[in-house]
Amino acid sequence: MSVVFEMSAFAILLPLLGAALIGGRMLSGAGRGDAAEPWTVRWAMLQAWLALLVLVAVAVAAIMEGTPGRIEFARWIESGPVALPLSVLIDAKSLIFALIVQVVGVVVLRFSRTYLHREGAFHRFYFGLCLFLAGMQLIVLAGDAALTFVGWELAGFSSWLLIGYDTERANATQNALYAFVTNRIGDAGFILGLALAFLWIGNTAWPSLVDTGLDRVSARLLLFGFVVAAIAKSAQLPLSGWLARALEGPTPSSAIFYGAIMVHAGVWMLIRLEPVLRLVQDIMIQVALFGLVTALYGWFAGLTQSDVKSSLVFATTTQVGLMFFACGLGFFDFAFVHLCLHALLRAAQFLLAPSYMHLLSQPAPEPPAWLKSRSWWYGAALSRFWIEPLAQTLVIAPAQAVARDVRAADEAVLMPLLASSVEGEVPGAGGRVLAWAADWCDSVEQRLTQIASSGRPAQLMRQAGEYFLELEALLERPRYLLILVAATFMVIL
Amino acid sequence: MSAAEHSLKEQLEHWIEHLDHVLPGQAPIRDFVHHNTLHGYQHLPFDQAMAASRDELGIGGYWPLARFRAEFAAGRIDASDLDAVLDLAHPEIDTEIAPGVTRRAIWRAALRFDCAPIDAARLRWELDERAALSRIPDDIAAESRFWRHGTNAGKLTALWQQAQALTPLTLSAEPDQDELWSGLIATLGVRGTLRELILQLSGEDILETVRVDLFRHLAAHLDQGLASWHNPQRNEGFYAAWRRIAVLDPSWALTDQTEARKRISELPDDPVAAIEAELTHLAIPLANWQGYLERLAMQLPGWSGMFLWRHHHPGYSGITVPVAMADYLAVRLVLESVAANTVARRIWGVPATLTALASYFWVHPVELRLRLACHRGELPEALASQVQQMEAPGERAAESRAAWKALAEAAAAVDADPQQHAASASWPVFRLAIVLGLDAPALSELGQSGANALLACAAELDLDCASYLWLQAYEHHYAEKIFAALSANLPRRASMDAPDAQLVLCMDDREEGYRRHIEEANPRLETLGGAAHFAVFQNWRGLGDPGVTPLCPVVPVVIVPSHEINEMPRVGQENAAAAWQQRLEKGRVARDRRLQQTRFGLLSAFVQSFLRAPGAFGDLLLRAFAPQRWGQHAQRDPVPPTLINPTAVAEHSARPATPEDPRPGFTDDEQGERIGNFLTSLGLTRNFAPLVVIMGHGSNSQNNPHLAAYDCGACSGRHSGPNARLFATMANRPAVRERLARRGIHVPEQTHFLAGEHNTADDIVTWYDAEDVPLMHAAAFASLQNDCRTASATHAVERCRRLMSAPLGMSPKSAWHHVIGRRNDFAQPRPELGHVTNACAFFGRRSMSRGAYFDRRAFLISYDPLRDADGAVLTRHLTINGPVGAGINLEYYFSTVSNERFGCGTKAMHNVVGGLGVMAGASSDLRTGLPRQMIEIHEPMRLLVVVEQTTEILTRVYQAQPAVQELVGNGWVLLAAVDPEPDPSRPLIQRFDPARGWLPWTPPAESSLREFERSVDWFGGKREPLPPVLLKRPLECAA
Repeated sequence: MSVVFEMSAFAILLPLLGAALIGGRMLSGAGRGDAAEPWTVRWAMLQAWLALLVLVAVAVAAIMEGTPGRIEFARWIESGPVALPLSVLIDAKSLIFALIVQVVGVVVLRFSRTYLHREGAFHRFYFGLCLFLAGMQLIVLAGDAALTFVGWELAGFSSWLLIGYDTERANATQNALYAFVTNRIGDAGFILGLALAFLWIGNTAWPSLVDTGLDRVSARLLLFGFVVAAIAKSAQLPLSGWLARALEGPTPSSAIFYGAIMVHAGVWMLIRLEPVLRLVQDIMIQVALFGLVTALYGWFAGLTQSDVKSSLVFATTTQVGLMFFACGLGFFDFAFVHLCLHALLRAAQFLLAPSYMHLLSQPAPEPPAWLKSRSWWYGAALSRFWIEPLAQTLVIAPAQAVARDVRAADEAVLMPLLASSVEGEVPGAGGRVLAWAADWCDSVEQRLTQIASSGRPAQLMRQAGEYFLELEALLERPRYLLILVAATFMVIL
Repeated sequence: MSAAEHSLKEQLEHWIEHLDHVLPGQAPIRDFVHHNTLHGYQHLPFDQAMAASRDELGIGGYWPLARFRAEFAAGRIDASDLDAVLDLAHPEIDTEIAPGVTRRAIWRAALRFDCAPIDAARLRWELDERAALSRIPDDIAAESRFWRHGTNAGKLTALWQQAQALTPLTLSAEPDQDELWSGLIATLGVRGTLRELILQLSGEDILETVRVDLFRHLAAHLDQGLASWHNPQRNEGFYAAWRRIAVLDPSWALTDQTEARKRISELPDDPVAAIEAELTHLAIPLANWQGYLERLAMQLPGWSGMFLWRHHHPGYSGITVPVAMADYLAVRLVLESVAANTVARRIWGVPATLTALASYFWVHPVELRLRLACHRGELPEALASQVQQMEAPGERAAESRAAWKALAEAAAAVDADPQQHAASASWPVFRLAIVLGLDAPALSELGQSGANALLACAAELDLDCASYLWLQAYEHHYAEKIFAALSANLPRRASMDAPDAQLVLCMDDREEGYRRHIEEANPRLETLGGAAHFAVFQNWRGLGDPGVTPLCPVVPVVIVPSHEINEMPRVGQENAAAAWQQRLEKGRVARDRRLQQTRFGLLSAFVQSFLRAPGAFGDLLLRAFAPQRWGQHAQRDPVPPTLINPTAVAEHSARPATPEDPRPGFTDDEQGERIGNFLTSLGLTRNFAPLVVIMGHGSNSQNNPHLAAYDCGACSGRHSGPNARLFATMANRPAVRERLARRGIHVPEQTHFLAGEHNTADDIVTWYDAEDVPLMHAAAFASLQNDCRTASATHAVERCRRLMSAPLGMSPKSAWHHVIGRRNDFAQPRPELGHVTNACAFFGRRSMSRGAYFDRRAFLISYDPLRDADGAVLTRHLTINGPVGAGINLEYYFSTVSNERFGCGTKAMHNVVGGLGVMAGASSDLRTGLPRQMIEIHEPMRLLVVVEQTTEILTRVYQAQPAVQELVGNGWVLLAAVDPEPDPSRPLIQRFDPARGWLPWTPPAESSLREFERSVDWFGGKREPLPPVLLKRPLECAA
């Protein structure tokens, strides 16, 4: 039966293969236009159904034999003490969530076949959706946090791809960029968490991550990174702005990303971190607070939304906020049930968004009487509590100012030294040095490749490689310093 | 209130009226009705209107030239069409412009091939990459006689040199500083507003900064029930409501606009006064105020148009919120000036008023010139990017004055670039010469004056002229085929003496197909066409409906019904009906709860998402994987047997029926009058069959915000079945028959009127009151139902050929299955294709078109020309049904030629807002017009109206009816007449040219119209649009 469990990797590999095939055909020019649609759909559907079949088989096996826990297939990267194995972690929750992801994925793939028929970007959409499914299954099933991160990025990338689906509308591409950049903040947190895990634990396997025996200070710092990532992905305050902007894509992608599946990835991360979260009560309290405030934010702002998709997305924000709240209070199982049911409900509602107007027979219910006539609160809710102007003033504008200063310094100091911006003019002294260095490196490389065929140089190269590794370790020290500084901050806070 | 203010208020009202001309007139989307997208320009001739549209709205009204050229290559336009159009295009079309070269030749060359000036980069590409000096593009080579003396490598180079020699470089003088600024200011209120001014000066679009916030306020104000919480001041009007929030808004401080809040709080309370204050503050000359407000509104056509529509329809759908255009304009003005101020202060350190900006640029003339050149796209890329760097925040103008100067010198050098000149002046001559077959010596013979004449003649055809000629050629090609079919069908005409049944369907072009298939299913059936309101305008309340629905046309004029009809359970069904209504209401409540409570609230939504998720997801799975099963499930509980009573009781009959106080039911006289009028307009006044079917139509589909756009246009985007039912019920009443007899319409006693509804999405016919069909007609009815089922299935085959996702060559059964699946599929953005490809309208007897195939492209309106000596019936047809057809046709036309601007883009991104329209994504302008999925295969051409009537009577009607003059005289529809009593001494068909009058149509030398047994023999296996052919089967009854 263990073979069945090992097959679960196909739930990740199949959509990845689907994306690769569709992408490859797009590149080769075969995957273009209406005529290629059936092929693209067939591949996407085939891989999705197969992956679903695999997951069902795994579920059946799990019911009969119990869940196997973490399974390691192979080592992907090994470098000194740091190892990144390819692994899955199959427990009841991950199996259920993976099944939900896959079923919603199949429905959305099927829906899009008809809904996006004859769209110019039909194949790009399917590419993005397959990539997303692979990423999402990786997030759900991965046995190592570092692998989860790969899924995290795949999902983030495909989200960017599909928000900016309509490349001809500036609004769509701007919002895609906005969502992408916001999510990078979460990624920074994720990377911090991963780096600390590698540093202190030596690996990022979920079981060892949550059962570390780390002291509270270390655990707090580790969690800080992951929780930031969860907050960004699930659009909790203060990183909520991107979700409402993400509705520029086609209806089915909005449904699966922002209604049903991806927006729950942050909650999933919290559920994965349950044991270690329970160690650090104050982070739990903060999670609960963030969740509660976000739920209130989503509720108030949601009351004022007059378009269907925004209204649904704020309702989603509210419910995901409540899931955070539940996690923060320690009701992880409850949050998980909520997550599953909510994902199914929103998938249905988002896909039916175009018919909302015809389905409703009554105007929306009025807000509570105590709230109804409060103008300031109404303005606040309509402006979504100004999170975007706030971000503009507090984050974006200063960042732009720094960038401007750096560029000015660049232009004033570096450019004259290195090269001239005018074509044909003689570069400065620095430029000449650089050109000479480049020539020299080139000749060295040429010689190296010439003698690379014999055995001896290969050995030399390996030695050099080791040498460089040591050098790299040395170079990493300032980073280490930075992390320490951050840690000190955390303790003070 | 002072006199001046008072007059501004009056003027403003007048200006707002005028906004109707430039803003989309689309109603909230539930009440979508097809209308001419450019209705505001209908008073102009078509070509002038298109030029005005390009000029004022910035949108061309034609397909791009490249598309026409592609149609030419595909054979949908041929050289003879172009020649026929050129014949009439210019009085001196065959004049020689230069020795041996006529205007016709030059125009033809310029139409067929792109000979327009290009820029230097493109020239380099043409010369280097496309080897323009060593070969001629294949398409030109096929037409041109340039190589007639053999291909010779040097020949093209010599021609290029000659072309350059004939177009010497002349430098234009640099514009004067004063002129530059005053020219810019003069555009305010003519070409644009402060937004365009700032955009040209800084490259920053101030609308972008206020857009998102503005849309939120607008959508919230106009919302028809999607949002829960509305502005507490909503009932005081948009301006007051917005201002209250804006004054409280702390975000002004966040974005460095602290003075904005102060300004807004100091604004006058009256929106009109605020408009005056803002425009005065800006220093816009009074004469330009109207234009300024118009331009302002046109920047957001969708929202402005919807606001205006609601302004004109207070109380729409029971909404009491005041919607006044002055409110909207005031908010727009204030927001614009606030945003402009922010930009101007940041960049130039001055407020955004004309005086302040003028004095700044008076001191910085070079900056002004460069900024304008850069943002108007006149600078080459390298220089433009340098200008943009200069503009980057942080650059102080005072420091960079020298830098501006240096840039200006670089720009001046570019202007004098000979390469640039060659591209813009010599290239067109070169291209024209090639197409005309002139080589270097021939060109040099023409000399400089000849070359100039050549260029000038080609330039006479600007984009709009050329497009208009192409459009006419495109229409000519199709019209020739229509005329050929009508004339070939003439000798085959046969009258039907005793048809088995008569079916009256809608004039809708989709019913052309259905009627043809009915006639093929049983040639002993006669079909007629009329507007499917059937002249019985009513407020309809179906069983279980919460309110009444007006079923009547709103084009060309809005009609409000004065009568109300209720659907009631049949005797003995009262209990079943009550139980059914209860179930309906329960379902409705549950659905509302599912959709609303899961959106709003904190904990209720939480609980609901637990309770509702399994059901909702089950529904989703069924919809996604078994749409037909879902459809059966959704329709599992049909309405119990019902009836309607068309007759008003005595107490109601006494008072007059008015729209304000609709009468329940019609009086006997009203019924007789309406039935009589409609039968007369159809020409169905004798020779009644035992069964007369009145068939309305409608369309059902899932997940479709544009539902109303597929429904019956004659019933303002609703199903017209209830009207058919009302008509039939009335026509069966002895009291009505008696009144008809008095008008000379003798309906035999045994004739029974029967009502049905044809669903254009799934081709299913629903029959009403079938239990009332007399026993004597039972067999005939059963066989008629059978014929309709056959027709539905074969019609589905014909429809499927145009649906790209339906396989070709399906059997009737599987095709019918396919279209039923579409109707129930919630993922289907093309449940049907609506009026797509509509192109012509026939007013006349069916015998004119029966037995010919018109590819579902023709509106068919039954009209008996021989019983209308004074043209009264025709007048009604042309003034009522004509505009309906024209509205549909022109909406499709414009949505096709510019789907992004006149249409609403793809459905995939649509987001229903406020229950009144769709946006693309979550913050776009409201999108009006038709979605891309509805027009993909449309062939945009103006409606060709063919009337079977003498030109004398048609001319009389034309001269008497201003409405007809506007549509036909201005060329918004094309008119042709078919002689009702053909005589070899007269032309059979004559076309109407507004400038020249009636022009006889000459049949082509050899008529080669093919003949097939049935439609399927012709269209089977073909996807493309098909020309008419003749069919044998529908005419077999006569044999």
